[in-house]
Amino acid sequence: MIYNVRHVTTYAYGRPVPFARCILRLLPRDGIGQIVHKRDLVITPRPAERIDAVCFFGNHVTTATIAKPHKELRLDMRARVEINRPAAPFPGLTRAWEEVGALALSSSSLAPDSPAHHLYPSRLVPPVAEVVDYARKSFTPRRPVLEAASELMARIRKEFTYDPEATEVSTPLAEAFSERHGVCQDFAHIMIAGLRGLGLPAAYVSGYIRTIPPPGQQRLEGSDASHAWVSLWCGPETGWIGLDPTNDLVVADDHIVTAIGRDYADVAPLDGVVIGPGSQRVGVAVDVIPVT
Amino acid sequence: MAAQGRTSSTRVKTERRSALLAEYRPLPGAFDEFMAADGKVRPHWEPFLAEWSALSHDELHHRFGLADRHVRDTGVSYRVHGDHDEHDPLAGERSWPLNHVPLVLTGAEWQTIASGVAQRAQLLASVLDDVYGPGESIAKGLLPAAVITGSPDYLRPLHGSTNGGSLQLYAADLGRGPDGRWWVLGDRTQAPSGAGYALENRLALTRAFPDLFRTMNIERLASFFQGFRAGLVASARRIEPRICLLTPGPLNESYFEQAYLARYLGFLLVEGGDLLMRDGRVHVRTIAGLKRADVIWRRIDGDFADPLELNAASALGVAGLVHAVRRGNVHIANGLGSGAVEARALMSFLPVLARQLLGEELILPNVATWWCGQPRERDLVLDRLDEMTIASAFRASGEGLDSGSILAGELPSDQREALRARIAARGQDYVGQEVVRLSTMPVFQNGRLHPRPVTLRVFAAATPEGWRVMPGGFCRISEQPDARAVTMRSGVRSSDVWVTSEGPVEQVTLLPSADRVAIKRIIGVLPSRAADNLFWMGRYLERTEATLRLVRALLGRLIDAEDASPGRADTLRRLANLLVAWGAAPGGKGQKPNGQALAALHDANQYGSALASIREARRTASVIRERLSVDAWRLFGDLQRQLTLDARHMRSEGEAFEVADRALKTLAAFSGLSQENMVRGAGWRFLDIGRRIERGIATCRVARHFSETDAPSDSLDALLDLTDSQITYRSRYLLGPALQPVLDLVMLDPYNPRSVAFQIERLDAEIAALPTLNEDGMLEAPRRLALKLAAECRTAEAGRLDKTSILLFEQLLMGVSSAVADRYFLQNDEPEGSRLTGIA
Repeated sequence: MIYNVRHVTTYAYGRPVPFARCILRLLPRDGIGQIVHKRDLVITPRPAERIDAVCFFGNHVTTATIAKPHKELRLDMRARVEINRPAAPFPGLTRAWEEVGALALSSSSLAPDSPAHHLYPSRLVPPVAEVVDYARKSFTPRRPVLEAASELMARIRKEFTYDPEATEVSTPLAEAFSERHGVCQDFAHIMIAGLRGLGLPAAYVSGYIRTIPPPGQQRLEGSDASHAWVSLWCGPETGWIGLDPTNDLVVADDHIVTAIGRDYADVAPLDGVVIGPGSQRVGVAVDVIPVT
Repeated sequence: MAAQGRTSSTRVKTERRSALLAEYRPLPGAFDEFMAADGKVRPHWEPFLAEWSALSHDELHHRFGLADRHVRDTGVSYRVHGDHDEHDPLAGERSWPLNHVPLVLTGAEWQTIASGVAQRAQLLASVLDDVYGPGESIAKGLLPAAVITGSPDYLRPLHGSTNGGSLQLYAADLGRGPDGRWWVLGDRTQAPSGAGYALENRLALTRAFPDLFRTMNIERLASFFQGFRAGLVASARRIEPRICLLTPGPLNESYFEQAYLARYLGFLLVEGGDLLMRDGRVHVRTIAGLKRADVIWRRIDGDFADPLELNAASALGVAGLVHAVRRGNVHIANGLGSGAVEARALMSFLPVLARQLLGEELILPNVATWWCGQPRERDLVLDRLDEMTIASAFRASGEGLDSGSILAGELPSDQREALRARIAARGQDYVGQEVVRLSTMPVFQNGRLHPRPVTLRVFAAATPEGWRVMPGGFCRISEQPDARAVTMRSGVRSSDVWVTSEGPVEQVTLLPSADRVAIKRIIGVLPSRAADNLFWMGRYLERTEATLRLVRALLGRLIDAEDASPGRADTLRRLANLLVAWGAAPGGKGQKPNGQALAALHDANQYGSALASIREARRTASVIRERLSVDAWRLFGDLQRQLTLDARHMRSEGEAFEVADRALKTLAAFSGLSQENMVRGAGWRFLDIGRRIERGIATCRVARHFSETDAPSDSLDALLDLTDSQITYRSRYLLGPALQPVLDLVMLDPYNPRSVAFQIERLDAEIAALPTLNEDGMLEAPRRLALKLAAECRTAEAGRLDKTSILLFEQLLMGVSSAVADRYFLQNDEPEGSRLTGIA
């Protein structure tokens, strides 16, 4: 499957901003079953300094400094991405979850894809005992890890309400959990907290999902959205498997990965400091268009 | 007096000795540093005990007093968290609790400690190099990756950078077990504190017992610091690098130590706000523009160093620093991410790593540690839970371990079982450690020595010649006679550590030999923040003085009731009104002048009172402590003490007059000190600019108040008093005070050092001597305004001065003040902005 992805973010400020320094993680990365043929990010106004680099986890990171006054900041990302993921294993045939945890703990790799990086609490995924207890219900002794994790994912999809108004980027996961609502970011954080609490290596993935318009209707331009889900290490044979609790989906060829990290803080598409913007209005338009 | 102490007869000495030892009984099951198991004092402590026995009770206390005064005068302090007083920003500071007994160790024993600590520093440096580089020890299976990834101080953005996690200052916390061997209790690789306190303890005890240092051949500390500095210099790209000590700021618990070390080592003390990134390099904001920083010795945690690539919530660092590090444009010590090997989980792997990485056995053993992230070790810990110390494996890991470590056997059974379940479920967050019994050393209480448990922090510095260990250290003493290491808490005393040498010790000072040093006159650059604080220190000192003069004038007239000159009541009212206008005293009906005068002296709730002003002066001074002499800092303490009223008694007018008078004398001492002893660098200029502006403004205000055309002569008399110009006036004019001559003397006479004209001339001269940024030859705003003001003043005539024209001078002075602030203090070209946040 090949996609053309376009992601335009526009910040409109109440008054001119004299200075901004930001870190952008908008360009999609390469990875298992994913090849990026073309990637491009246009920043307007043009930054005084721009550095494009690849971070420890392999994500594309752009650091930009804009030193002249501007009332609008526009980030226009385009990429052509080919997805050809290997089929996920049959859940019942994966290793027992306890074994997976033990293997991750004894891993002898510090490489970016090592499960060892994703075993511990991180900035936005603190240990929350209630979340671990919730997750544990699916993890009966010796149960195959993917089977148990898929059930947890299905329970989150069923028992939580998707509500974009309910939470913000800064809402702690414990709050989203106790209210049983949130968006993809909250669901991913909750699921990661549960899995890590049980000793399983779980990562946070940002990216896009292809949406299929209702039958007989045209796809609306810019109506797609950026997305987030979970990646679970299922043992050395199986490796990392994407699990999307928002949609109760095992990740296949409909998901496009932008960045992978321990939580949202590692992969935030845009972070930084601007001086005195007064108010700011954000506009986002995403198009994920299958080419073949 | 020392000689007198030594004339005591042998009999008296023997009696004193037995008195000191009367209650000294080593704790059962613990090693005692001072006394052997047979009850005999260990030989290397004998010279110390002999000296103490030779001193009478009074003399001994006199010696303690010398040491304590040194501690107080130098402002050796630490900050207690959560102890704040809104009126006194320094309220949380406590004097350092010094035990007057040193910990004495023989040179032979020290050899083992020093080589063990140097070896461990080398080992941890190698582990850091590996985990931020090739990761071979992990790939070979010597160390599970999860021991490193579990640490919140393993900073992935630094992976692959040579400065990432590099170690230059290391500290080991040691304890001595019952068998007499020293054990490593913990490692400090992030930003170890305590080296400065060790130095201060040494200086304090040297004051008290100078002879002992000579007779006992105690190893000196200076060469260690020399080596550390040489190591930092060598890590820079320039031959004469600019080295900054990056502090979290004055609210940090060990800020004093940081300021002290910056001054001692000649480094620039900076906060994150003083630094700025330009073109991928780090710069210090100074009054002469941006200056490059080559080396940063950080005392902030690595994670806080860069809000852009590390912890976004940090306000202590500088955005873009990690990028500069990766480019090699700045060297940080210790390298960002060095905290990763502080984790207790790592300790259990160190014996194997020492063999593999260094080909050596550990000279100093670890306290036995089992990381519960391994199945076998976890089961062992769970089996022996009751006899173990359970601790967090990583900083802040492990539920229910708020205090870091607990004795599992002392928990109530339900809590113990809950802990057991948590370890079984997520063992990787915990370690089990053998319970350590510490050794004991003497503390002096009620005329007797008593044994108390100690831990010893030993420092190692990377020098161009390899690791060098400080021959001494920072020794902490528990108040509780419980020798288990886990019971050590904060609020303990500290001791100097004496390492005895067989022969006379080498004398080293930090002063380099004369032939290697290029002659310089004004050293370094002045950071904008320091200039800002010096300026305000000057203003607050002058404000204190003006308030004190008002109070003294008011009280003097109240006491001197006999002399009821015409207009006396009017003068009293004017003086009291000024105090009210300055925010020094409460106004309104029912206020009596004497009560107002007392409030203006002592009432911290009145923001303009002398006490409030001196506190502000001291607060600004505390932020630039590294730039003040010990004497200057002591005067601040004296002033604050003089003005703090014991709430239990109200002072009489006479007493209050004395207080104001004495405080003015102390202030005069400060002025003398800054005139005679401060180098005429930019720092002194800003202090002086602050004083001149404030004095000019205060004099204008007083002049406006007391020189109305209908003012009685008593009022002009008060004006001469307040401007300290009484004697000059009388020597020039035989008649009593008349309006125009008084105004000329107080406002326009450039030869009177208290006049407004004099302040303006000085101000112009100081500003003219400051660095300029303009290259086009145009005047910068501060100088332009100062020149304009000087011209106005020189051409003014006393006969034409009135309230309005005096007010104009006052406003122009304020204009100069703002212009100086805008030009030289932290330029807000990149202030804290709001954060952009992304989209989910």
